[in-house]
Amino acid sequence: MRIGIFICHCGHNIKSTVDIDKIKEFFTGSINITSVLDYPFLCSEPGQALIKNSIKNDKLERVVIAACTKSLHQDMFKSLVRNAGLNPFLLRRIGIREHCSWVGDDIEKNTVKAIKLIKAGIYSLAHYESLEEKLVEVNKSVLILGGGISGMSAAIFLARSGMEVYIAEKENELGGHLRHIKEIWPVRKQGREIIDKMKMTLKELKNVNIFTSSRLISFCGSFGNYQATLETPEGEKKITIGGLIVAIGFSPFDPSTKPELQYGIDKRIITTLDFENNMNISFKEGDRVAILHCIGSRDDSIGKTYCSRVCCINAIKTANYIKSQNKNTYVESFYMDVRSHPRGGEEFYEDTQEKGVFFTRANISEIIPEKTGVILRGEDTLLGMPFEREFDLVILSIGLSYPEDGHEIANLLKITLDKDGFFLEAHPKLRPYDTALKGIFIAGSCSGPKDMEESINHGRASAVKLYGLLNLGYTFVEPFIANVDTKRCSGCRVCEQVCVAKAINFDGNLHIVRVEEAACMGCGLCNATCPSSAISLKGYFDSFITDEISGLLEIA
Amino acid sequence: MQGKRIDKEKLRVALNRFVEKQNHIVYGYGKNGIFITHKIYRDNPEDLSLFNPYFGLNGATFFYRVFGKDIKVVMLLRPCEIRALIELVKLNQIEPETITMISIDCPGTISQKNAKADLPDDFIEIKKAFDKNDSGLRWACKFCREKRGVVGDAGIRVQEDGGLWIFPYTDKGSDFLNLIDGEIIEYTAKFVISESIKTEPFVTDMDKFYNDFSKCILCKNCRDMCPVCYCVDCLFNGDEYLPKGDAFINKMLRTGTQNLPYGKEIFHMIRMYHVSQTCVGCGACEEACPQDIPLTKYFKGISERLQNLFSYMSGRDIKETIPYLTFKEDELKDAED
Amino acid sequence: MSDKKEREPEIVGFACSYCSFKASEMAGSLRMKYPENVRVIQVPCSSRVDPAFVIKAIFEGADGVFVSSCHPGDCHFIRGNYYTRRKMAALKEMFKAFSMDGKVKLFWISAAEARKFIEKITNMYNELREEKNAGKKN
Repeated sequence: MRIGIFICHCGHNIKSTVDIDKIKEFFTGSINITSVLDYPFLCSEPGQALIKNSIKNDKLERVVIAACTKSLHQDMFKSLVRNAGLNPFLLRRIGIREHCSWVGDDIEKNTVKAIKLIKAGIYSLAHYESLEEKLVEVNKSVLILGGGISGMSAAIFLARSGMEVYIAEKENELGGHLRHIKEIWPVRKQGREIIDKMKMTLKELKNVNIFTSSRLISFCGSFGNYQATLETPEGEKKITIGGLIVAIGFSPFDPSTKPELQYGIDKRIITTLDFENNMNISFKEGDRVAILHCIGSRDDSIGKTYCSRVCCINAIKTANYIKSQNKNTYVESFYMDVRSHPRGGEEFYEDTQEKGVFFTRANISEIIPEKTGVILRGEDTLLGMPFEREFDLVILSIGLSYPEDGHEIANLLKITLDKDGFFLEAHPKLRPYDTALKGIFIAGSCSGPKDMEESINHGRASAVKLYGLLNLGYTFVEPFIANVDTKRCSGCRVCEQVCVAKAINFDGNLHIVRVEEAACMGCGLCNATCPSSAISLKGYFDSFITDEISGLLEIA
Repeated sequence: MQGKRIDKEKLRVALNRFVEKQNHIVYGYGKNGIFITHKIYRDNPEDLSLFNPYFGLNGATFFYRVFGKDIKVVMLLRPCEIRALIELVKLNQIEPETITMISIDCPGTISQKNAKADLPDDFIEIKKAFDKNDSGLRWACKFCREKRGVVGDAGIRVQEDGGLWIFPYTDKGSDFLNLIDGEIIEYTAKFVISESIKTEPFVTDMDKFYNDFSKCILCKNCRDMCPVCYCVDCLFNGDEYLPKGDAFINKMLRTGTQNLPYGKEIFHMIRMYHVSQTCVGCGACEEACPQDIPLTKYFKGISERLQNLFSYMSGRDIKETIPYLTFKEDELKDAED
Repeated sequence: MSDKKEREPEIVGFACSYCSFKASEMAGSLRMKYPENVRVIQVPCSSRVDPAFVIKAIFEGADGVFVSSCHPGDCHFIRGNYYTRRKMAALKEMFKAFSMDGKVKLFWISAAEARKFIEKITNMYNELREEKNAGKKN
C-alpha cells in the first residue's frame, strides 16, 4: 500500500512543542510508507499544492495529514484529495495540534504522542475503503424562531433571495425588545420606527409566512428535510423546512434576584428598561439621580461572569438624557469599567462627562431606602475611601441574560447551550453562526449579548450562510451508514430493537436484517450491539478502531 | 396454584397422544445404555425419563435455528435448558410457535465425564444420593439459582412425598395439559424444592484468573457448546481480536514478550460480557473444556452479578427484554465517574 | 504484557464527535494542558463504543480507558447514550468483580465543557499513577 504522510508545522504552533524531524525519521522508510513530507502551513496555497502533487506523482493510495484537528478545513482537504484523483474518504486527518502540541509542554513526550497518534492513524487507515457521498434533495424553505430584529433581518434577506420563509414569534406582534426602546443611540430613532419599517418590507414580500403568538412544539428530521410543528392560535401547523435559524433573543436581567438591590421593594429604584418605558419622568432642579453599571453582569455571586456589552452605552445614554432634560440635576454614575465600545462611544462618554455627569469608580455594597431618599453605601475604588450618598432616583443599568425559552428550544432541536445559558456556536471565531447541527443556525443576542447593529449583522450573516447551503436545492450527505453482511447475520434482530432512527427491518424470508439507508443516522449503535458485528457502520468498522487501539498502545 | 396430578404412566399416555399427530415430536431424556441422555421421540416415548442426573451438554443447543412452523415439539427438560431456550426465542433463533417448553424440578447433576454408577431415575432417590454425598455434584448445580420447574409454558414439580404435579404457565401449556387425563385441581401440599437460593456477588482478581486460565488452549469449545452463544460467525473467528499469521508475528515484534496462546483473556472477557445478560449458569462450558478450567465459576458469577444490576434473570419470562436492548431515562444515576 | 521498567500510566479514551470530542478540541484551542499519555479516539456517537474495544484496550496494555459522551438526553443521535450508559455500567461492574475498579470510567462531557474534560482525565491519570506507585499489580 502506498501511504503518504504530510506533517504541518502550523507556523510555530506545532513545530515549537513537537520534534517534527524525529517524526519524519520514524516513519521514513517504514513498510508501506511511500513519502513523509512536512511544510510550514499545509492549508496555504503552496502547502495544498505540495499535497496534490505528491498524491499524483507518488501515486499515493492513502493520505495522512497530521496537522490541526479534523473539524477545521475538512471540506478543503477533502476536495483537494478528490481533485488529485483519490477518493476523499481515503484521507485520515490527525489532530497533532489540538490533541498534542497545544496540550502538552514536554517536547519529548509530545513527540512520542504524535508518533503514536500517527501510527494509530495509519493502522486504522490501512482498512479504509472508498466511499461516495449521497446526494439528497433539500427544501428551499426556512423557519425562523423569533421575530425580533435579528430574526426579521434574516427573514428579509432569505425572502428576497427566493426562499420560503416561516417566522414563529411567541408574542402577539413582531419586533422583540426593540419595541420598548424609545431612543436608540446614536441614530436617535425610536425602536418602533425601525421595527415598523421592517414589518412593511416583510409584508410586501410574497413568500413570507408570519405566525405570531406561536411556539415550536416538535422538531425532527435531518438537514434539508426537517419537520417542525408550530402551535398557533389557529391550531397546530406542520411544516417541512430545509433549515432553521434560532433568533429568540435575550431576557433582561431581573434585579429582584438580587434582593440587596431592593428592586421591586422601593419605587425609587428602577432599571434602564423601566426608564425607557417611562421616559416622560420630569426632573426638577436639584434632583439627585444615581446610575449603577454592571447590574447582572460581571458578577460571580449570581454566576454571571460575562460582560453584557450594551449596558454601559445604555447607562451613558440615560445619564446624558437626564442632563439634557434639566441641567441642574445631580447625576452620578457608579461603574467598574466604562466600556463604550461602539463607534462614537468614547466621544459620547466624554460629552456626557462634559455635560456634568459624575463618573465614580465604585463598588456599591448597600442600597438603603429612607424617607428622604435612597442611600447608596459603597467604596470609591480609585480613592480607596468608603462613601455614603443619598439620591432621589436609582437607575440600575441591567445586563442581558439568556433567553428564558433557551432550554426548551435547545432540547427540541438537540443543540447545546453554553455555561451561561446562551446558545453555543460551533466555534467562537471561525463559525459564530453555526450550531453543531447542519442547517440549524443562531442569530442575534440568543448566542450572547449584542447591540442592535450587531444583532442585525448576525441575523443577516446566518441567513447568508443558510442560503448558501440550501440554494442549490440538493446537498451531499456523508456516507457513514450501517451495512449488513448477509452471510454473517444471524437474524437475532437486536440491532433492530435498539436502532434510534428505526432504520432496520427484518427480512423473514432470509432471516436477516436490512438497513434503510435514507433513515440511518450513522451512530453505530447497531454495530456495537451486534455481538458478531455482522452489521457494521461504514467509515467506523471494528477493524479501524481495534487497530487504532493497538497502534496507540504499542511499545515504542 | 392450579394443576394436574400426574405420574409416569399418565404422562406417557399424554405424550403418545401428542406424538400421534403429524409432525409432532417429543424431546426429553431417555435411556441410552447405562446412561440417560437427550433423546428425540417420533413415536411412543417408552423409555422417556423425566430426570437426568448426568449433565453432558445443554439441551437447548440442539434447537438452534429451527424456524419451520409446521413442526410441533414438546420439550421436557431441566430449568436451565428451558431458560436457555427462552433466551434463544428472545434472540429470534428458534420459532416460538414450534415449541412447548415444560421445565422439571431438577435435583442437580453430576458431570457425564464422571458418571460411573447407575444413578436412579427418580427425583427423591437422586436427591437423597446427593444429600448424602455431594462431592460429585457439579459446581453449577451446587449454586444453581433456579432448580424449580417454574419457567416455560408448563412446569412439572415434585411434591414432598415424591408425587408429581404439572402446572400450566401459558396458553400453550394449558393446551398440553388437555392431553393429560384427570382434572385440574388446586394444589395445597409442599414442594421438595420450594425456593431458589441466593448467591453472593462474585468477586475475583486477575491473579486468580490467570492461574485458572493458564491452561486454556483457545479451542473455543466453551463457546461452541454454550447454548446462548448464537452468532453465526463469531467475532473470534476473524483476526481483529486475535491476529493470525504474519500479522501476529509482526505484532509480537512490536509489542514484546507474550504468553501464548495470545489473547486468552481477551477472548474470555469479551465472551463473558457478550453472554452476561443471557447466561443461564448451566455450566455446559465447563463440561466442554478439555482442560477442566473452572469456567462456571467465572461465567455464572459475572453474569449473575451483571444481571442483578438490572434486576433481570435470563429465561425467567419470555416477555422480559434483554437489558442491553432497552433503557430507562431515569436510572443508573451513579454511572458517571 | 508489561515492561520491566516503570511506565507512567497510559490512558485511551473514546470521545463522541458531537460533544466530547469537540470539548477535547476546544481544550486544545484554549491551550489547556493534560498528561501526554492520554490519547483520544474519535467515534461518531458514544454508542459506537463496543465494550469489546474497552476490554481489548485494557488487555493490550492500557492502564485506564474512558468513554466520554454527551449528557443523557442531549445525544445528537437522540437516544444513543442511554444505551452507552447501560453497557458501561455493566462493563464497570464486571471490572469491579475482577478487582479492577477504576480502570474503566464513563464521563458526561458536553461540547462546552473543555475544563471538565481536562479535570476528569487529569484526575483519572493521577489516580492511576498513585495506584501504580503503591505497587498494586494489574
